[in-house]
Amino acid sequence: MDSKRKAGNPSTTLPPSKRVQGNLQSSAFPSQPTDEEEDYDEDVFMEELLLRDEELRDSGIEGLSARLSRWRRPQPQFDFKLQNIVFQQLDIDYIIGESNKQLTPQRSGPVAILRMFGVTTEGHSVCCNVHGFQPYFYISCPDGMGPDDIPKFKHILEAKMRESNRNSKSPIFITNVELMHKRSLMYYQQQKSRLFLKITVALPTMVAACRGILERGILIEGLGQKSFLTYESNVLFALRFMIDCDIVGGNWIEIIAGSYFDTGRKLTYCQLEIDVLYDKLISHSPSGQYSKMAPFRILSFDIECAGRKGHFPEPEHDPVIQIANLLTIQGEDKPKVRNVLTLKSCSPIVGVDVMSFDTEREVLLAWRDLVRELDPDIIIGYNICKFDLPYLIERAEALKIVEFPILGRIRNSCVRVKDTSFSSRQYGTRESKEILIEGRVQFDLLQAMQRDYKLSSYSLNSVSAHFLGEQKEDVHHSIIADLQNGNAETRRRLAVYCLKDAYLPQRLLDKLMFIYNYIEMARVTGVPISFLLARGQSIKVLSQILRKSKQKNLLVPNVKGQGSGQDTFEGATVLEAKAGFHEKPIATLDFASLYPSIMMAYNLCYCTLVRAEDISKLNIPPEHISRTPSGESFVKPVLEKGILPEILEELLAARKRAKADLKEATDPLEKAVLDGRQLALKISANSVYGFTGATVGQLPCLEISSSVTSYGRQMIEHTKKLVEERYNIKNGYEFDAEVVYGDTDSVMVQFGVSGVEQAMKLGREAAEHISATFTKPIKLEFEKVYFPYLLISKKRYAGLLWTKPEVHDKMDTKGIETVRRDNCLLVKNVVTECLHKILIDRDIPGAVQFVKSTISDLLMNRMDLSLLVITKGLTKTGDDYAVKAAHVELAERMRKRDAATAPSVGDRVPYVIIKAAKGAKAYEKSEDPIYVLENNIPIDPQYYLENQLSKPLLRIFEPILKNASKELLHGSHTRAVSISTPSNSGIMKFAKKQLSCIGCKTPISGEDQTLCKHCKGREAELYYRTVSNVRDLETLFNRLWTQCQRCQGSLHQDVLCTSRDCPIFYRRKKAQKDLSEAEVQLERWDF
Amino acid sequence: MVELAETRLPRKQAAYTPKDEEFDLRSQKYKGQQYSHLYYCRLHKLREVLTSVAQQSYPKARVRTILGLEEGEDCIVIGTLYKQMQLKPSILDEYAKERSVIPLVSPRNFVHANDYLILEDESGRIRLVGDTVFPTAYVTGVVIAVYGYEGSDGEFVVKQMLEPGLAPQGQFPSQSSSGEDKYVALVSGLRTCASEANPLQFQLLVDYLTGHLGDEKEQSAAAKVVHVVIAGDSVHLQYNLLTGQSVQSKDQQKLVEPIKELDLALTQLAAAVPTDIMPGSNDPANFSLPQQPLHACLFPGASVYSTFFAATNPHCFELDGVRILGTSGQNIDDLDKYSVADSKVEFMERTLRWRHIAPTAPDTLGCYPYTDRDPFILNACPHIYFCGNQKKYETKLLQDERGRTVRLISVPRFCDTGVAVLVNLKNLDCHSLSLSTDMLKSNGI
Repeated sequence: MDSKRKAGNPSTTLPPSKRVQGNLQSSAFPSQPTDEEEDYDEDVFMEELLLRDEELRDSGIEGLSARLSRWRRPQPQFDFKLQNIVFQQLDIDYIIGESNKQLTPQRSGPVAILRMFGVTTEGHSVCCNVHGFQPYFYISCPDGMGPDDIPKFKHILEAKMRESNRNSKSPIFITNVELMHKRSLMYYQQQKSRLFLKITVALPTMVAACRGILERGILIEGLGQKSFLTYESNVLFALRFMIDCDIVGGNWIEIIAGSYFDTGRKLTYCQLEIDVLYDKLISHSPSGQYSKMAPFRILSFDIECAGRKGHFPEPEHDPVIQIANLLTIQGEDKPKVRNVLTLKSCSPIVGVDVMSFDTEREVLLAWRDLVRELDPDIIIGYNICKFDLPYLIERAEALKIVEFPILGRIRNSCVRVKDTSFSSRQYGTRESKEILIEGRVQFDLLQAMQRDYKLSSYSLNSVSAHFLGEQKEDVHHSIIADLQNGNAETRRRLAVYCLKDAYLPQRLLDKLMFIYNYIEMARVTGVPISFLLARGQSIKVLSQILRKSKQKNLLVPNVKGQGSGQDTFEGATVLEAKAGFHEKPIATLDFASLYPSIMMAYNLCYCTLVRAEDISKLNIPPEHISRTPSGESFVKPVLEKGILPEILEELLAARKRAKADLKEATDPLEKAVLDGRQLALKISANSVYGFTGATVGQLPCLEISSSVTSYGRQMIEHTKKLVEERYNIKNGYEFDAEVVYGDTDSVMVQFGVSGVEQAMKLGREAAEHISATFTKPIKLEFEKVYFPYLLISKKRYAGLLWTKPEVHDKMDTKGIETVRRDNCLLVKNVVTECLHKILIDRDIPGAVQFVKSTISDLLMNRMDLSLLVITKGLTKTGDDYAVKAAHVELAERMRKRDAATAPSVGDRVPYVIIKAAKGAKAYEKSEDPIYVLENNIPIDPQYYLENQLSKPLLRIFEPILKNASKELLHGSHTRAVSISTPSNSGIMKFAKKQLSCIGCKTPISGEDQTLCKHCKGREAELYYRTVSNVRDLETLFNRLWTQCQRCQGSLHQDVLCTSRDCPIFYRRKKAQKDLSEAEVQLERWDF
Repeated sequence: MVELAETRLPRKQAAYTPKDEEFDLRSQKYKGQQYSHLYYCRLHKLREVLTSVAQQSYPKARVRTILGLEEGEDCIVIGTLYKQMQLKPSILDEYAKERSVIPLVSPRNFVHANDYLILEDESGRIRLVGDTVFPTAYVTGVVIAVYGYEGSDGEFVVKQMLEPGLAPQGQFPSQSSSGEDKYVALVSGLRTCASEANPLQFQLLVDYLTGHLGDEKEQSAAAKVVHVVIAGDSVHLQYNLLTGQSVQSKDQQKLVEPIKELDLALTQLAAAVPTDIMPGSNDPANFSLPQQPLHACLFPGASVYSTFFAATNPHCFELDGVRILGTSGQNIDDLDKYSVADSKVEFMERTLRWRHIAPTAPDTLGCYPYTDRDPFILNACPHIYFCGNQKKYETKLLQDERGRTVRLISVPRFCDTGVAVLVNLKNLDCHSLSLSTDMLKSNGI
């Protein structure tokens, strides 16, 4: 990682952002092309998706419709003639259909019809068909081409298009070409406008086709062969529409009575369905009364499949046996509907509608009906996009239920299935299907988690343990089939489990305020909500640039990322860290929003950048040009105000407003909205810098990003200089101030004073003094004091954070994070405990002692095994891995032992490292923790000491302790070693067991003796020892097993949970086993 | 040292029958059992009792399972209570994300105003609501019957909660031998070698019981003590010395000293009067209930005598046909943590009415995972029911409408109070015996 950081690749030099809850988009900008899919439109003809009526059969399930009717939306009382329609739109897409004869009489043949789906304040669903909006893009008008040449040009282009799209049903391709006065966004130009051609095409996909033709070049009479640079030709159609109509994601739309038509034919399942011309829409900006959320319906669901033993469920073979559903109305804290559909009978569950069916077909069709009647606006779940939804669709296909996939809002219209290949470093490449459900937004909590939070495990269990503070019962999929094949009681058990899995995503959604944060993000950046999870990051910035350009009559050129991704520039600066344990308060001076401030202060933008060759040509007075430390030139705002600075100013001003409103807001829902907004604004502001530096992005401009970082470096150095020049004994201060460390946007200063309050005072003063020397709005702020402060190296430190002089706020660490996936829990525990002892208790000897006793416990085999478990996901079978990996090898070995319980692809494999023959490869030393427990297999303490513990520990202790390595890792505490004897190894079959004295391990002859004659006198003491071991284990046994009972929510049923993510799973097992062994020891006294 | 033969006053005798078999674990092994069976056995056993209790009170109401409930219908449900408590400590707290700001010192009582009761049977769970439901008085694990109906939101509205009531009681022996006064002495919390324990005080007690104190009148009173029960926490052990590393020789002494001192005193006692010793929460015995007898190797002196008996905890025995049951206090202490009552005796009374002496086991009180029975169910009601290691001496004569009579005694810690308790087997009268090093007195109650 380190080497990459220095290279100044924007994907790793993050725009400065403080750690905030809900760190949306913390992964910044993708540097690999594989991560960023190219956005393109796809024209779908409406009739392709529709099923013929004869294919449609009613599910014909009795009793279902009565239930469903209770859960429907309220019936609208609506007068289409008199009432305005006001709704919050949540999803916008388009479909190709016949042009509407009333609204667009001038067009015939297929046209793109935009559809906005939304909800009114009363909770009625709306589908608004928008007509008349046509796809277009620009090219620069070649010199010498005048208005008279346009018809000819249009004709040539039309012919070319026809030639390359012979199969198209469209009667016309180019609907219009007109001359416009516009200006390109790129580079500073003195000329205020030039001529451009706006080319309007019939269907959205034709934009790309036409762009291709123009880029390759066409022969124009009189001008010769010409190729063109296109402008705004890579804008998705729906986004184009939103930009032109000033609609942002999730805002409110109003349509005045009389300007719309009530669609006579009911094409959708929406309650209100209207047709309107695009210029009749009134888009309300999300403020005041229009900042609220409509009461939209959120469906959380989870499915259970009965897999065959040893296989992950496959839709071709394995039935869907249960589907649990939870419908919540936005803004209400209790779910409105809770039900579960089961295959075969299932005992009732209090408070839940249990609906049982005899065939799988009925289950699936009942769910289809349920979705249609509940009519959710948002569908959520955990891993639904990659598992649950595709599984249902493919299962229905396997069962030949053609009428199943009508889950969207369009009558008789099947969901669209797109094959996608999803690849990333963590997950490997997975072929999967993307399911597009018309009119319903899918929000997969797993994707949101992976995007917004860095966690060691993303299983639902560990995520809910992390955020909700509770463990989830986990039923292994090999047991699921057994439960299903049992009776109504066991299926009920499964249903309870399934319901919990449907409930947790909803709780996570509420707890982490995803709805508010994502809708606010959509509103701020102006993209549809569905883009936020499904598409790359840059579209959010692009959307803002396009909107701003439109206001300023600028055009965004379609410049493909020319860079190969290897162009780099110098990144942020990091001042040399004065490593050590600083026991005097360290004041931290932070630049507030450094990179956005720099861009604003120096007017850095595409349209202010002066190319080197232009400087002399344009003859700009030097006082109107600022030269950046990296050698680029930008004009000052007097000549041209950049749009990026303007966007940033608006974002930051809006954030200030949101924060001010937040302070005054009293309603918790309003607060949630405002907090989500200020967060979204902050993140958006920070991501602008990254956008300019993403070399394979939409509109890279390294001149801007390298200038930003160069200014940043300059400022850090400047601050350091000023602090050290001013705060010293020469100037009458008590001590010489010393900058101990500085990174990207902050500088840590040790003023030398010993009181936190004094340090705060000096810090505040220094911030003010230094801020005055910078161009506005760059501002240095004093926020916090670290005291004490353990600085390990660059980007690695820990300290107690103080924002008020009375009491510290918390312990803050950076770079010592122990959430790395391949670390075991022990590392985290030891590191946390050590830091706690060092920083809070100020007890370094205590910390050393703690490390020593932990290491001693490890070597003496007294360690709780669950602390040593390492977990990795199995993404493909062993043969597909190029390199042998420990967890893959183990999975293979486990399959040989028992195929039924062995982990299969998609599972997480927990393992421990065991002692093996000398020279054994690391991957051969992995073993299943359960197997280890059951067979007394010795773990390899050296591995844990050297590969897991030593590095993080030395990092912490080296600044504090002389000879840390020697002291901690090789002291006398490492000499006593105890290794358990495996009970299954070959040689043990031949060994004869002989009893030994409990006191001194001397072999003793008599069967009925406990102690040798020398130890007889110590009888009482040795008995204590045996009995106290039993006591401890009994206590543990009791606490562990009763906790699991509480967790599963039943006293009268056995605990089944096999959640290996649960911290007490192995302890529970181990306590059980240890206890029976300890009992045997105790029994030896009963002679 | 003690020569009983020469005493002019012969000590009275009583027929002693230990009834500890229920609590003997020797045939039990940890083989991967879980606690669900214990709850199952408990519910199964007490269901019969509760069914008849409920049917007497509400002959017309049907007994239903939780799953069989029909909305609005008045009926009876029998099940195990689960008390949802937000303050209840959990082992998962150890894994809390960040070290909590609140110190991990556990409060004495975990009751909170938001606690509520859930009734569970084999088929399901339902939350109990209604004016007659008092979560503070109940704990997890109690088996009860509730009369009421299922409300519209899936909760059970309780009209009355029905408890099993006192178990059938054996006939109190008619005093055949001319109604002699015979006493059983109860003492607990000796904690030898603890900092607060006074060795002289304990010696005084031993001297009193063995008849080496006072004048003839006192001695004749002492001669009426037919049995001594030491109810737990007899030694103060420094478990922290047992760290897994080998024990230093000076620490070995520290470890063994308390038990040696106890053995010395017990030897004197056992020579004079039959003595039972029960293990307590801090004694060198196992932790889970039922605690097994303290090992003979700890008492090389006393164990020689046939009058010395190492009992289980709980301990049940009969003296001249009077049934006596007692614990070293863990069951009552645990109730005190998870529920509220005015006195310890009230907790004891509740356990008798619930017909279960340790309902919180296994939820918060450690116990062995039985699979075939629940030894803590009261099949027969004792005549004397005591509980050791309490703060102060309390007693009550409990009588129910059917004439069952139980003497309830909360036995205080001797090391703190210097109080032992004497109960008269003839009429269940009870008084405390206070010993202090400066005065010797006896208070009748």
